Amino acid sequence: MRGAAQSLKYLLLAAALAYPLMPFRDVYVLHVLVLIMVYMVLAMGLNILPGFCGLLDLGFVGFYGIGAYTAGLLTIHYNMSFWLIVPLAVLNGALFGVLLGAPTLRLVGDYFAIVTFGFSELVVLFLTNEIWLTRGPLGIPGIAPISLDVTWLATLLGVDERWRYAFRGEVPYYYLAMVMVALVFLVMTRVEDSRLGRAWLAIREDPMAAASCGVNLFAYKVIAFAVSTGIGALAGAFLARWTLFISPDMFKFWESFLVLCMVVLGGLGNIRGALVGSAILIALGEVLRVALPKLGLPAETRFLAYGLIMVVIMRFRPHGLFTQVAESTMQSSLIKDLRARIAARRTA
Amino acid sequence: MLEQQLVNGFTLGLIYALIAVGYTMVYGVIELINFAHGEIYMLGAFLTLSFISMGLPLPLAVLLAMLAAAAIGVLLDIIAYRPLREAPRLAALITAIGMSIFLQNLAMIIWGSRPMPFPKQALPAFFSEPALTFSDVTISWMQIIIYAVALLLMVGLNLIITRTRVGTAMRALAQNQTAASLMGINVNRVISFTFALGSAMGAMAGIMVSMYYNTMYPTMGYLAGVKAFAAAVLGGIGSVPGAMLGGVVLGIAETLGAGYVSSPYRDGVAYAVMILVIIFRPSGLLGRAVTEKA
Repeated sequence: MRGAAQSLKYLLLAAALAYPLMPFRDVYVLHVLVLIMVYMVLAMGLNILPGFCGLLDLGFVGFYGIGAYTAGLLTIHYNMSFWLIVPLAVLNGALFGVLLGAPTLRLVGDYFAIVTFGFSELVVLFLTNEIWLTRGPLGIPGIAPISLDVTWLATLLGVDERWRYAFRGEVPYYYLAMVMVALVFLVMTRVEDSRLGRAWLAIREDPMAAASCGVNLFAYKVIAFAVSTGIGALAGAFLARWTLFISPDMFKFWESFLVLCMVVLGGLGNIRGALVGSAILIALGEVLRVALPKLGLPAETRFLAYGLIMVVIMRFRPHGLFTQVAESTMQSSLIKDLRARIAARRTA
Repeated sequence: MLEQQLVNGFTLGLIYALIAVGYTMVYGVIELINFAHGEIYMLGAFLTLSFISMGLPLPLAVLLAMLAAAAIGVLLDIIAYRPLREAPRLAALITAIGMSIFLQNLAMIIWGSRPMPFPKQALPAFFSEPALTFSDVTISWMQIIIYAVALLLMVGLNLIITRTRVGTAMRALAQNQTAASLMGINVNRVISFTFALGSAMGAMAGIMVSMYYNTMYPTMGYLAGVKAFAAAVLGGIGSVPGAMLGGVVLGIAETLGAGYVSSPYRDGVAYAVMILVIIFRPSGLLGRAVTEKA
């Protein structure tokens, strides 16, 4: 059983890697797949707060927007390379995260949720109204696509050529998104199993007990917030250089809600679950977008399904649909044993 | 100009106050931010529309809409929140958001997503006419009705909370749920009553807003809900007089902010107030200091 699951995983990975090279590939499918991967990054980033630390963040999309606009504006005005923009956008997102987090993370959970929500709405208002900077509701069109300039390598090798590769169509973005998902996934799984991750989980389970064991609650929460918002900004930077157009409408509260729904569906704190949750909800969204108008309903009503999913999951499967997957990301045998014992005590 | 802004802001503030008491009462008894409360406000307006189109006279339609909204509020608690009373707070919060989105989209399916006017023929013609005119300030009949209804409801609510047995039970629950249940209070029934009361008041606010602005749309509860929540926070969450005061202060601040500072940032006033109050004075204007319960 375990071996079968393992080979299925590799098979899926191989299929995902090979798909864009197949003759029957479809641009629309590729586009949706890239979108899924963007949301996978977002879901993994958001997961840190409600999942690992037990803090409800309702304003995640604000940082996604900050990342996207950082990338978009730097591209438009300074024609900066994507590879330089990524760290800048991530830092900018994390900076805003710390600025917002430092005064608010001392708050009780519900208040924190509300402050993050208010912040993301303020971000949208800012993007809509500061026309001198963002062109307001019109958005920023004509952002240059990503290009990979390795002429320096050519000079290093003594070749007198311009080695520059411009991203065209969905295929290069598809592979770049894959790399991005893989990197974030790797970092997340390693972090979860590290001292940092254990501190977060301790804060989630019982802040008071964690503090009495010497966990600096405030510092670890701020780190969590900075990492989470940085990842959100990363996804935003990719989005800006992929869709080549950004507008304030793309960063409304619904997006935060959608990402939260993915995390909840996959199980709070479950990294792999977040990946599956993103794939399911984006695919479902695409299906409903086509199916609903045929039933004579506006396409936005697909959120009805999302709302229902959240309520039902919280009621009947509070640990998400993929609890088995969750256990496997933790590799420390000590923690596994501890968890098993806690679970046993709870059922007893 | 300033006087007119104050009058308009006060009107808006009373509406926020009516919604805010629903948030604050529910928070008081079960410590949950009922995100779906804004949707109850929206449903109040649409249910009135439906009852009127069935041919019912306006007062009866309004009364029925309030009752229906109260029933929806109670059902919301029983179906969605009650099973999660013992679960972590996060679960209940996420459920509340889920219900809010669900109800909003349900309304979109039932009534369509386009804004609808309040049926003109149902309203007496004099409603939109000016009632009082001072030098450059006009107060319409509609505004007077909003003042009267809002004040009446708030006085009534205060009497219920301070003078009746069920009100006493609500206050007991807010202090200590276990002790209250040991004193023979039926906890779930009191919580249901709280939801009914808050929902009816929120629905009334929605009805009056749809008459005042002559429009209603399925997403109207979103912004109004957020602002009313900001008002509840400003007044001190859990405090009913605080919610009323917070609503009025926020309504006036928003109107003045839009008029004199920056009108595109009109909605930002509520968010800014909310964030600043939470950071610097989490207990609000009239609330008690809150500490996290472990």
